[in-house]
Amino acid sequence: MRRLFLIAATVLLVASAGCGGSSSSNGVVNVTVWHGYEDIEGKAMTSAAARFNATHPKIHVTVQNYGNADYALQKVLTAIRGGAYPDIAYLYGSWAANIARSPTAVDLSSRIKEPGVNWNDFWPAERQAVQVGDKVIGMPALVDNLALVYNKKLFDQAGIPYPTANWTWDDFRAAAQKLTDPSAKQFGWAYVADGSEDTVWRFDALLWQAGGDILNSDNTKAEFNSPAGVQAATLLQQMATVDHSVYLDNGNGNYANLFNSGKIAMLFTGPWDLSSFPDVDYGVQVLPGLTNHQTISGPDQWVLFDNGSERTQAAWTFLKWFTSPQQAMIWSTQTGDLPIRASQTQLPGYDAYVKKYPGVSVFVQNEANALKARPVIANYNEVSQAMGQAIQAVLLGKGQPQDELDQAAQQVDQTLATGQ
Amino acid sequence: MTSRAARSEHVSGWLFVAPAALLIGIFGILPIGWAALLSFQNNDLLTTPTWVGTQNYHTLVNDPVFRQSVNHTIVYTLLFVPLSVGGSLALAMLLNARIRFSWFYRTAVFIPVATSTVATGLIFNWLLEPTYGVANYLLGKVHLGPYGFFQNPDQALYSIVAMTVWGWLGFDVIVYLAALQGVPESLVEAARLDGAGRWATFRHVVFPLVSPATLFLIVWSTINALQVFDEIYVTTRGGPLHATTVMVYYLYSQAFEFFHAGYAAAIAEVLFAITLVFSLLQLWLGNRRVHYGS
Amino acid sequence: MRWPLPFSPRHLALMPIAALMLLPLGWMLLTSIQTLPESRHFPPVLIPSGIHWQNYPDAWNAAPFGRFFANSMIVTLSAVAGNLVFCSLAGYAFARMRFFGRDVLFVALLATLMVPFQVTMIPTFLIVQKMGLVNSLPALIVPNLVTPFGIFLLRQFFRTLPIELEEAARMDGCSRLGVLLRVVLPLSMPALATLAIVTFLWTWNDFLWPLIVITSTNQSTVQLGLAQFQGAHQTNWTLLMAGNVMALAPMLLVFIIGQRWFVQSLASTGLK
Repeated sequence: MRRLFLIAATVLLVASAGCGGSSSSNGVVNVTVWHGYEDIEGKAMTSAAARFNATHPKIHVTVQNYGNADYALQKVLTAIRGGAYPDIAYLYGSWAANIARSPTAVDLSSRIKEPGVNWNDFWPAERQAVQVGDKVIGMPALVDNLALVYNKKLFDQAGIPYPTANWTWDDFRAAAQKLTDPSAKQFGWAYVADGSEDTVWRFDALLWQAGGDILNSDNTKAEFNSPAGVQAATLLQQMATVDHSVYLDNGNGNYANLFNSGKIAMLFTGPWDLSSFPDVDYGVQVLPGLTNHQTISGPDQWVLFDNGSERTQAAWTFLKWFTSPQQAMIWSTQTGDLPIRASQTQLPGYDAYVKKYPGVSVFVQNEANALKARPVIANYNEVSQAMGQAIQAVLLGKGQPQDELDQAAQQVDQTLATGQ
Repeated sequence: MTSRAARSEHVSGWLFVAPAALLIGIFGILPIGWAALLSFQNNDLLTTPTWVGTQNYHTLVNDPVFRQSVNHTIVYTLLFVPLSVGGSLALAMLLNARIRFSWFYRTAVFIPVATSTVATGLIFNWLLEPTYGVANYLLGKVHLGPYGFFQNPDQALYSIVAMTVWGWLGFDVIVYLAALQGVPESLVEAARLDGAGRWATFRHVVFPLVSPATLFLIVWSTINALQVFDEIYVTTRGGPLHATTVMVYYLYSQAFEFFHAGYAAAIAEVLFAITLVFSLLQLWLGNRRVHYGS
Repeated sequence: MRWPLPFSPRHLALMPIAALMLLPLGWMLLTSIQTLPESRHFPPVLIPSGIHWQNYPDAWNAAPFGRFFANSMIVTLSAVAGNLVFCSLAGYAFARMRFFGRDVLFVALLATLMVPFQVTMIPTFLIVQKMGLVNSLPALIVPNLVTPFGIFLLRQFFRTLPIELEEAARMDGCSRLGVLLRVVLPLSMPALATLAIVTFLWTWNDFLWPLIVITSTNQSTVQLGLAQFQGAHQTNWTLLMAGNVMALAPMLLVFIIGQRWFVQSLASTGLK
């Protein structure tokens, strides 16, 4: 009896998944947008929707906060599974490859060729992040990258010159050592060591600088345990377990408050953190490098869901408008987010934006250093976890770089082989 | 009972439980059935699932992280239940007195239970932070530590035990307080007049009389402990190095980080089996040793 | 040995315990009266520069919290009422009545607690959707109208009552329902109060289920409202804690008032 109910429910569900429900009333098409913004960004989102609605009488956009990222995926997946999904949702880059597999996600590859979109105006990292096989599964929503943020006062106190654009790993390590003072509980550097993607992506930048790669070109084998990977992991190991110049953050964001309290001298972090440092006179510089100063970018996307052709078209109209250079510039100026298009740097509003957010211009230029991207594959998260565990073990002094990376590589190879 | 009375007893019994049974049937049993079916699928919640029979279970058996998670879950439970049930009985006895401000103390004890897990996690993150936290600061004053707590793979699980016992004690306490109301003061006094010491009075009068509550709390705490998740989520996230990866955390990451919902359901089924065995055992033992009525 | 001090020795044990337990509230209050830059310190600033009460009205106005409180109240009180009624009925049947399949049914109901919500939330959502209840307050109420926890709790408590009272009432011609209402329940105030408090707590603090099933602001609850202070990259600690303190207040009020019922001044239990 229960089974019958379940089968009936499933059939009904599948049948109803195609319907989008009432999508228009008296000729106006309703578009729902889910996002995780709050505070300043939330207000910017609401005002953007208002601006759009005022100039597009046939479409009405409603924006909705879906709670923070931690729970959003559960909510989005349940909604997709239950056939009650919005038209547009803000999704984190790490979900892209998986969400793309849902038949409800709209492929934008033909739409991005429309006049006015100028697809190549978007930064390379963003375009790579939305390309899943032949599908383009979203429009860029946010782009950022990692740079070196440092506390000028601590540098002055230690008598060290500020980081330059030519800093090497050795310069960085030496500075971190000088800036570490156990008696004052002060650390030269902080690293998020919880084994999550936060742990991995900082390592990725170092790996790439050393000439290594995460996976091979057709994503079938791990390559992060190459000599380049070992070199990067060894730097982390030496700084954490020998110099003791690294504060190991357990993933709860203490490092930001510690930096703001003047207890940490340098961070590898992105523009989103800058507003957490009201008490610090900070400087921003490109990452210390070897022969290059590559960095890593973490783009997020707006994904379009299929709720019928009428709503899809209306939703696309909104997205195209919202990601146009003028609107994107308004957004950046209101929120401090980096420009999602290269052409924004030429717009009249750009100077005002740079003045309003100190240090942001370095991040914008640093975007050109984001040459490589993480693999956009469905089981990337498993790759990430294997690498994260390895790096965490190295940082905690529980394992040697080569051994840990080899072990992780073995796991990853297995995952990639079974497609599990 | 005459057979007609017995029959009407069956009918009225079912009538009494009908609303509860119906609601729980729909919202409890149906979803569990769905989850059981899910465990035989390869399902990412996004694309069409495929049926894979018992493959998920075979994979589980050979999965080292799964075995670790079972281990951690059981260790956690074996520590949490006695500490919280025993500790709360002691605390309830302390609070069950007509002293001034007793309402204040009782409310204070209840506050950790009413506080959101997010806030609790934040506080413990600060308390147990290895370099700047209060715990190591105080321990340093008596020449102990410093300890890694959440950051040390060997200490993390025990730190979670401490945090959750602290967070749940108040709940058990109010159950015990309610139970203690059923212990007549006259009986306690009679025992004391007969020359029984405090411990003997407790052992032979109070403890048996609150044993129904004890059974309830043991069964309930065990079920909850086996499913611990929220507190781990806001602090250690299963780490460091899987030291606090318990079964629910593992299944959560399988479903919502790796998109392996079928595999997660299989883990849930194993957890269900373990929980059922524990509970049946406790209920059976309890029925033989719990003292009901006067 | 006579105790030399004018107060009970219990205070000496209870005060440090209470201090330990009050830590979260103290910390929440402290953070809620700080300025936002002050809250961005680690270790946390223990002595704030001033009392920034403004955080409270700011938090209240950041979202329609009046609406959220009303919604949470409706949902929570309904769940409490439902549990008191249905768990009493079922708990009594399991405690005192003999009927076919009783023990199996009891274990089956208990078994529904043994599968984690992360797994059952999606099918539960589908069921609620089939009922047409998505994004409505009934979606939050109906699944919470009765819980096996409450049934188990009351069953245990009912069984501790002296059965002679109930038998006497039945011999006087009382129906089963009458016995429950007139004899058993009045003697079970502590247990009922406990159930009410705990149900209130859980429903009030429930977050994940409302997150999944509610999609518009009008139907949101207090916990959903609080989540808005936690962004992906930033958390507004001061507003979040102010909000949390405000959300905690009804909870504490219910508890303090409820103490009257679950800690009686020890009257006799009716028989001795």
